[in-house]
Amino acid sequence: MIRFLIALGCLGILGELQAESLVPGYQRFHAEKISSRGGALLYSELGCANCHGKSPVRIERSGPSLDALSSRVQRDWVIAFLRDPQAARPGSPMPKMTHDLSKLETEALVAFLGSLGKPARLKPPRHANAERGSALYHEMGCVACHAPTPDYRGPHGPVDAIAEGVVAFPDLAAKTGLLELQHFLTHISDFRGDGRMPHFALDAQDAFDLAAHLLDYQSSDPRDAPRVAPWPKASKEKIDAGRNLFFGQSCHACHDVPGKQAYPKVNLDKSKNVKSSNCLDAGSHPGIPSYQLTENQRASLVAYLVEKPAKPAPEEAVDLTLMAMNCYACHKRDNKGGPVPETDPFFVGEESLGDSGRLPPPLTGIGHKLKEDWMTGVFQGRHRVRPYLKTAMPGYPAHAATLAKLFTAVDHRPDAPALVSNKADLAAGHQLLGTHGGVNCAACHNWGDKPSPGIPGPDLSDLDHRLRPSWFREYLLNPSSYRPGTLMPPLWPGGQSTVPDILGGDTEKQIAAIWTYIQEGKEVPKGYVEKNGQYELVPSDRPIVQRAFFEKAGGRAILVGFPGGIHVAFNGDRGHPARVWRGRFFDAYETWFLRKAEFQKPLGKDALEFGPPPSPNRFRGYELDKAGNPIFQLQHAGHRFTETYRVEGSKLIRSLTSEKSPLPPVAHPKGLKVKTATDSPRKKTFVYSW
Amino acid sequence: MVKPPSCLLVALCAFAVPALGLAGESQSYKRIEILTASSPTTSRSEQWTPGKGLPLEVSGMAWYRDRLAVSIRKGDIWLLDNTLGSDPAKVTYHRFASGLHEPLGLLVSGEDLLVGQRAEITRLVDRDGDLVADAYLTECDGWNVSGNYHAYTYGPEEDGEGKRWVTLNLGMGKFTNNKTGWRGWGGTIGADGQFEPRCFGMRSPCGLGPNLEGDLFFSDQQGTWIPATPIYHLRSGVFYGNQESLGTLKEKGAPFQLTSVPKANQPYPKALESCPEFVPPAVWLPYNKMGRSATDIQLIKTGNKFGPFEGQLLVGEFTNSAINRVFLEKVNGEYQGACFPFLSGFPSAVLRLLFAEDGSLFVGLSNRGWSSLGNRSYGLMRIEYNGDNPFAIHEMRATPTGFHVSFTEPVDLASVKEGSFSFERFTYQYSSKYGGDEILKKPLPVSGTTWGDDGKSVRIDVADRAAYYVHELQIKHLTDRKGRKLEHGRAYYTLNQIPKG
Repeated sequence: MIRFLIALGCLGILGELQAESLVPGYQRFHAEKISSRGGALLYSELGCANCHGKSPVRIERSGPSLDALSSRVQRDWVIAFLRDPQAARPGSPMPKMTHDLSKLETEALVAFLGSLGKPARLKPPRHANAERGSALYHEMGCVACHAPTPDYRGPHGPVDAIAEGVVAFPDLAAKTGLLELQHFLTHISDFRGDGRMPHFALDAQDAFDLAAHLLDYQSSDPRDAPRVAPWPKASKEKIDAGRNLFFGQSCHACHDVPGKQAYPKVNLDKSKNVKSSNCLDAGSHPGIPSYQLTENQRASLVAYLVEKPAKPAPEEAVDLTLMAMNCYACHKRDNKGGPVPETDPFFVGEESLGDSGRLPPPLTGIGHKLKEDWMTGVFQGRHRVRPYLKTAMPGYPAHAATLAKLFTAVDHRPDAPALVSNKADLAAGHQLLGTHGGVNCAACHNWGDKPSPGIPGPDLSDLDHRLRPSWFREYLLNPSSYRPGTLMPPLWPGGQSTVPDILGGDTEKQIAAIWTYIQEGKEVPKGYVEKNGQYELVPSDRPIVQRAFFEKAGGRAILVGFPGGIHVAFNGDRGHPARVWRGRFFDAYETWFLRKAEFQKPLGKDALEFGPPPSPNRFRGYELDKAGNPIFQLQHAGHRFTETYRVEGSKLIRSLTSEKSPLPPVAHPKGLKVKTATDSPRKKTFVYSW
Repeated sequence: MVKPPSCLLVALCAFAVPALGLAGESQSYKRIEILTASSPTTSRSEQWTPGKGLPLEVSGMAWYRDRLAVSIRKGDIWLLDNTLGSDPAKVTYHRFASGLHEPLGLLVSGEDLLVGQRAEITRLVDRDGDLVADAYLTECDGWNVSGNYHAYTYGPEEDGEGKRWVTLNLGMGKFTNNKTGWRGWGGTIGADGQFEPRCFGMRSPCGLGPNLEGDLFFSDQQGTWIPATPIYHLRSGVFYGNQESLGTLKEKGAPFQLTSVPKANQPYPKALESCPEFVPPAVWLPYNKMGRSATDIQLIKTGNKFGPFEGQLLVGEFTNSAINRVFLEKVNGEYQGACFPFLSGFPSAVLRLLFAEDGSLFVGLSNRGWSSLGNRSYGLMRIEYNGDNPFAIHEMRATPTGFHVSFTEPVDLASVKEGSFSFERFTYQYSSKYGGDEILKKPLPVSGTTWGDDGKSVRIDVADRAAYYVHELQIKHLTDRKGRKLEHGRAYYTLNQIPKG
C-alpha cells in the first residue's frame, strides 16, 4: 500500500486520477484539445457503444469477464469497487452504477456475482521470486501501459517521471492473491476478451514471479502467500434478487455472464440535444451510469455525437484501433506514437543492433509489408521474429483476423512494382546472400538456427513466409526510407549494384534472385560457420600459447597447451595459474571468430582449479624459451620472479625462481597430488600428478 | 571496382544515398589488391598459410624492420615483404607473433613492436633476430577487462611529445562494467607500466592518429550519447560527452572531476556551454552523409607524393567501405574544420590506414562483426596516386564573415552560377540515445562571393552562422578549366568557434 501511495504521490494528481477514467490513447493524443476523434475514442472506450451501438473502433470494448469472480477477487474489494470504481482502481473506465442501490441491494448484486462460474484449480508453485518478477515487469513491456514500480531502480536509475496515459502502479494486494493473480496472468485472454489488456504467453513460473512482484510478496515460499478469502454463502433468494439487479442495471451491456440476455441497444435519439444527456452530466440519475468526465472529455464526446458519426474510413479506423488498443505505447505508425521519453529507457534488447535492437518495429505500411496470414499469426501471438527484443509482442487471439484484415485493407498496394522471381537465378541468389562475393546478408542476419558471425539480425531463412515480395524489393532498395536509423545499409546504393559480376549487376534481378533463393534454395548461404572442430588447437611439437576470456581464469587468461596433453590456464589479472586439465586443449572458434566470444571452457577433461588463491602477483608477460615454453614474468611486492611449466609423462612440473628475494606463497590444484621437489627460498619446484 | 553510374542515375540516387560518392570518384588514385578474401570464413585454421584464403582481417599496421607488420583479429602479427612492387603475387608472408587477444593497434618502439591487446599493451621482442617474437612483455596495463566483448583496447599511438596513448572502449551487453577501470577513457603509458588516465567520455574510440604538429586525434562511433561520427582532439583534462563511464570519476587516481555534469536532452551547443571540461568534436562526420562509422586516422605526409591534400587527415570508414578526408585549422586556439568524401567502393570495411615511404597508402580491410557495403570479408589494398591532379575541394576555412573555400585546380568561372553554393546549418541533441538526428536545421543565405585572382579559391559570405553547428556546403555546376566536374561537391564544416574580424 505504501508503494501505491508513492505512485500516486509521484503523479501529484491524486484527486484528479480518482475522478476520471483513463483511456491511454485519449490521454496521450487528445486530452489537451476538444476533438471529435478523441470523442469517438471515448465513445468506444468508456463503453458508450455497448449501450448505444455503432462502435467506431473495430474491436469493441467490453468489460472483464465475471466468470468465477469469487475465486479470483476479494469480496470486500468488489464491494468497494462497485461503490466507487475510481477510488478502488484509479483510472478505471467503469462508471458508477450502484448510486441508486441500497446497501442491501448492492450486497445482493455481489451475491449474484459470487455465484458465477466454477473456480479453477490452482496449483501452488514450488518457488516464487519477486525480484525476477520485477525484472520481467520492467523489461517485457508491462511498463508501456502500467507505471513502473515506485521504488524501482533499473539500469537507468530511479524512476522520476511517469508518462501521461500510463496506468498507475496497481494496488493488487487488496484485490487478489498470489495464486489467483498467477492464474489471471496465464489466462488473460479468458478474462479480458477485448484485448485492452492483451494476452501474454507467460509460462507458469514467469507468471508466479510477476505476481509475486505485483503483490510485493518477497518470500520465496508461495505457501504462505495471501489468498482470496472464501466468499460467504448466499441464499438463493438473495442471488436471484442480485441477478435481477444485474440485468436491471444493464450490467450485461458490458459484462458477459452465463445465461446472458441480449442487451437491447438504446439508439441515440439524434433529434435530442446530446449535451443534456444524463450520461454526460456527472449526476446520479437512477439507472444511468455516472461518469466523472473532464470538461474536454465531455466536449469531445459531444463533438463526436453531434457530427452524426458515420462508420470511420479505414485509415481512421486503424488510428482509432491503435489508440484504443494502445499499440502506440510501443509502436510508431506514420510518425505517430512509439515510446515516450518516460517509457523509452525501459525498452531494452540487443545493444549491438542500436535502437532497432530494442524498440518494437514501426507499423507504418505494415499491411503492405506482411502477408495477411502471417500478420494474423503475429496478432495471435504465434510468431516471434525478433527474439532480441525484451519487450514481448502480446497476442490478441480473438481479434487477430480482424486486425490483419484492417491493416491489409488500408496498407496493401497490389499495384506496387512486383518482384519478378526467376528460378534460373537460384545459384546467383545463393551467392548474393553469402559472404563469398555476395552482398553479405549472412554477415548480419541469422539463417534458421545458424547465428550470423556478426550482429544477430532477423532470420532470413523463412522471410518469404512473412513478407510480401514487393515490399521486400522496395525495402532493399532503400532500407532507411522505411525505418530511419536502421542498421541495414543500402546494399544497392542509389539503385546501383555493388557486385557487377553477378547477373550482370542488374539490381532488380539480384533482389529477385535473393527472394527466389530464400523461397526455393536448399543450402545454407556461405558465411555461416559450422562449429565442426576445425578451430581446435592441437599442440603437436611445441606448446601453444593463446589468450582468451576463460572461465575461472578471467578476462586476461593465458592458455598454455602442451604436446604432452596437460594444459594450464594462467590468470593474468591475478598473476597465478588458475586451472589445469588433461586431454584436448582448446577450441579457438569463438575467440578467433565470433564478435562476442564469451568466457571459454577447457576442451579436455578433469579441469581442476588452483586454490585458494593467495594475494595477487603482477603479471608482466612471458619470454619463450627455445622450445616455445613460456617463462612467466611476475612481480610480488615489487620483486621479480619467474614461473614455468613442463609436462613429463602424466605429471605437470611447476617451477618458480627468484634471483634475489624470497618467493611468494603459492596455491596448488585442488584434487591433485603435490610433491615438493625443490624447496629453497629462491627456487621452488612442485610436481603435480593425478 | 565499382563503375560510376550514368549521370542521370547519379542525380536520382544522390538523394537516397548521398554518402556513397560513387559518382565522380577520383580517377587519380589507382587501387591494387594485395590480398582480399577469396574464400569465406571456413579457412581459419590454426595451420593456415597465406594465399590460401587467409583471414587477413587487418586490425593494425606498422613499418617494422623494412617490412609491413600487419596484426589480424584472430591474434597474429604477420610481416609482409615486397609489398611495394606492382605484383601482389610476389608479396611474402611471415608470422612474427601469435596467440594475442584481439590486437587492434601496432607501434614500433626501437627494435621492438608494441601491440595493443584487450588487457594490455605488449612489447614484442625478437631476441635472436629471426623475425619471430621471443618475448611478450607487458608494457602497460591497469584497466578493467570484464570479459565483455565490446570493451576493446585501441592504440598505442605516439604524440609529438613522445607520449604513447591508449583509448579504451565502453563495454556493452553481457559482463559490462563501465563503472571502474577506466572504460571510456584515453590515457598514456606511465613510467612503471601503469595506465595513466587523462581524458574520458569516449564510446568506441577506434582510430588514433597525429596531425603535422604531432597533436593526436581520434575517431569515435555514433551510438549512445553520440549522435553522429565525431573526430576529437585527444588531450588531457577533457570530457567528450559520453556519460556511461561517469562512475569512474569516483575512482582513486581520477585525474580530474567535472565542474558540472551536462544535462541530457538539450541541443549540443547548450550542453557544451554547461560544462567547461566538455569539448566538442573538431569535426562531425554527419551520419549517412559521410558514412556511419569512422575508423583509423592517417596523416597525409608524403612529400606531395599522394596528390594535393598534403597535411590533411584521412579517416577510414567501416560501413560504407570508404575513406574520407578531413581538413583542420586552429581557431581561437581550438582545432576545427571540415570533412569531405574522398574514396569509396572498397571491397570490405576500411579499418586501418598506413602510408608507405613511396607515398602509397595501405588500406587494411575487415568486415568482422559488422557489415559493410564491401562484399568480401577482409583484405589488404594499396592506393597509388597517378599524378593526375583531381578537381576537388582542397580546403575549407572559417572566416569572420563566412568561409574560404579553395580548390585543387583553377575553377572555370563561367561555370559558376547563381546558387552554385548553398549552405545549411544543423546540430544534434545531446542525449543518452543511440545516435541522433540532425536538429535545428536552417538554410543559410549566401550574401556574396569573392573569387581569388587565380580562380582557385572563393570567399563566401554566409549570414546567420552559429557556433558549434555543422555548416553543410553544397556546390553545384563547377568545372575546372579542363572542363572536369568537381568531385564530391559537398563539405561539412564544424564551426565550434567563429573567427573574430
